[in-house]
Amino acid sequence: MLHNAASTLRVIWACMKKDVKTSFRERTFTIVGTLVPINILFLMILFVIGGGYAPTAVVMNDRGPYAQQFYQAMSGAHSFRLQQTSAQEAEALLRSGHIVAVVTVPTDFDARIRQNQPVEVGVQINNLNTDFTNDIRRAIPLSITSFYAKAFPHLVTVVPHEQDAYAQDTDYVPYLSVSILVLGIMLGGVLQSGLGTAREWESATMKELLLSPASRWSMIVGKMLGAFTVGMVSLIIVIAALILLIGVWPVHWGEVIGFGLLTLVIFVAWGTLLGTLFKNRTPVLALSFGTSIPLFILSGAFGPLSFTTPAIQFIAQLFPVAYAIALQQHAFHNFNLNTYGVGGNALVLVGYALALIILAAVALRRSTVAH
Amino acid sequence: MAQLINFLHIVWIVLKKDVRVWLRQPVNLAVIFIPALGFLLISALGTEAVGRSPVALVTLDQGSKGIQMQHIFHDADVFRITDATQEQARSLYNEIRVVAIITIPADFTQRVEAHQQSPIDVEVNNLNLDFTNDIRRAVPDAITQFYQAQGSSSPVKVTMQEQNLRSRDIELFEYSVLPTIVLLLTIGGVINGGVATSREWESRTIKELLLSPTPRSALITGKVLANFLITFALGVAVLLVGALLGWTQPQGIYWLSAGLSIALVALMSSGLGVALGAALQRMQPVIAIANSGSVYLFFLAGGIGVLAFAPDWLQNIATFIPLTYGRHALEIAVFYSSSDLLGRDLLVLTASALVAVALGTLAMRRGIAS
Repeated sequence: MLHNAASTLRVIWACMKKDVKTSFRERTFTIVGTLVPINILFLMILFVIGGGYAPTAVVMNDRGPYAQQFYQAMSGAHSFRLQQTSAQEAEALLRSGHIVAVVTVPTDFDARIRQNQPVEVGVQINNLNTDFTNDIRRAIPLSITSFYAKAFPHLVTVVPHEQDAYAQDTDYVPYLSVSILVLGIMLGGVLQSGLGTAREWESATMKELLLSPASRWSMIVGKMLGAFTVGMVSLIIVIAALILLIGVWPVHWGEVIGFGLLTLVIFVAWGTLLGTLFKNRTPVLALSFGTSIPLFILSGAFGPLSFTTPAIQFIAQLFPVAYAIALQQHAFHNFNLNTYGVGGNALVLVGYALALIILAAVALRRSTVAH
Repeated sequence: MAQLINFLHIVWIVLKKDVRVWLRQPVNLAVIFIPALGFLLISALGTEAVGRSPVALVTLDQGSKGIQMQHIFHDADVFRITDATQEQARSLYNEIRVVAIITIPADFTQRVEAHQQSPIDVEVNNLNLDFTNDIRRAVPDAITQFYQAQGSSSPVKVTMQEQNLRSRDIELFEYSVLPTIVLLLTIGGVINGGVATSREWESRTIKELLLSPTPRSALITGKVLANFLITFALGVAVLLVGALLGWTQPQGIYWLSAGLSIALVALMSSGLGVALGAALQRMQPVIAIANSGSVYLFFLAGGIGVLAFAPDWLQNIATFIPLTYGRHALEIAVFYSSSDLLGRDLLVLTASALVAVALGTLAMRRGIAS
């Protein structure tokens, strides 16, 4: 009995050590695989860095106090990155694609406002797509109302009275970067385990493993542990980047580590299953890279799933990524992204982990050397 | 003359061989299409929710102004609204089904008519600035429409006179199709070229090619052409499918400029792929680098979002990414039937394609020599 256990442990240890060593021999690939999440983090930051604010030129043909107040109202509209220019400069900037709108305050703005006469503010828009164009179309009327609410509070009496759920707003980058941690774990786990397993088939060393007297369970556990160990490097790098570069400090450290490792187990098992099924590195690589980013975006990376469309909610809930993101957002920001609670989400992940480990083991057990 | 015929014959054989090998491996198609389809699927499914946050609307005032405000919230097209009682709204909010509860207070009509401050209560789940700012913009927008509805009696006299730079608005989903084609061309060309080239080293068939009495330039030309043809065919196929589905419909001569842009992006990515494959000589790192590199270029060239909204320094980086010009040339041809800056775009793409093919040739020659 004791001898059997020792033998099993030795097989696990040997398989694990071999896979870790092989991974580190494939330096280029291991570095690329490990740094992909950092790359994605950087790209996503680039994507959101200016996305919410329309670069807009304001041509101030009137510099009276009301015109200035109108400009201030535009600044506070959460919609524009403003710069004051001449009409010619504005036209050139718009044509060259450096700005997306030109707002022209007419020369008689103040005079007409004082006399309570209609005033037309010219708005020229580079109407590239409706999403961004509509943001501008909404933001100008918002600026007009805000201007009146401040300049003539007795005239414009309907105003929003906001009450926030959290004392502090969370910006795009701190929110998104936590979701990217899950992408890092996903890619790290699937790539390491999937390629490790597929490589055994490609190089036909799987034949030797399957014909050896070692149990298939111990082999699969050893292989998963190997991928898990290398995947942890990716996990540590992304967590370090979050804390040191982005400045996001976890509220619940235990949850970050615990749920991070649980998520890694899931994707290591998923990768092992893919590697066993495809027995070739090319489709494993393709599926890992090709599905990870779209699945990540689909799974509530930018906000709670329930705020998106029912179709996206339905698809996302079929995969563990959405639950992992919900748990990490709780761990870092104390946010609740769904109604399952921490325990419920964790249970779902445990379920996925067990199911995938069993599936991977079954797939390997059913594999034969004939392949 | 005989030499030229021999050269073309070898190019044709290499080209045919590479296309056949590619066709034998359906997984190659998956490698190229999965990322592009993934992005397209997200755009298709998510467009409806973009910029329209779910909110619960509680109307406590049944007076004329309260009801008018309620209708305006519904018609404003800035929310996905659920009319609810206070309890229902609270429950939706707690279950994270809505971003905010908007409450029109019971004395709203009375206060508006008395010209007293009439706040509309907005309780926001501000866990993410993206959604929070949408609400912060959308509620005042509805209030603005409330005042506009009063016509000449409205106290708000300032109005917006809109003038659009382009002849038509493009829907978000339609807009995302062209960058997706550019992504597909990039991934397709780089991966096809990279895998086809590195495979020769991995399977050691490069040895046979080297020992054969064929000019190396013919081998390299055949490889680049094979990858170019595959990638170009995929790009054109997607453009045609887009046209059939009504997403991308260039008019008349603009089919030609769209096709030319696709051809140049395909040639550039094929050249890069051959260079990468010959430099790395291993399929695994080639696929990894090609995938992440292509997505990188896709993002930087304005594949997600609109480049004009990005900060200046990011726009400056984008000017050095050839895909920016490919995307622009396609957009102008397909959406606006225009040749605005087409000369610049085609010039940059041609130069980039030539540089990429030269890089591929150089890397292949070096690889063969080593």
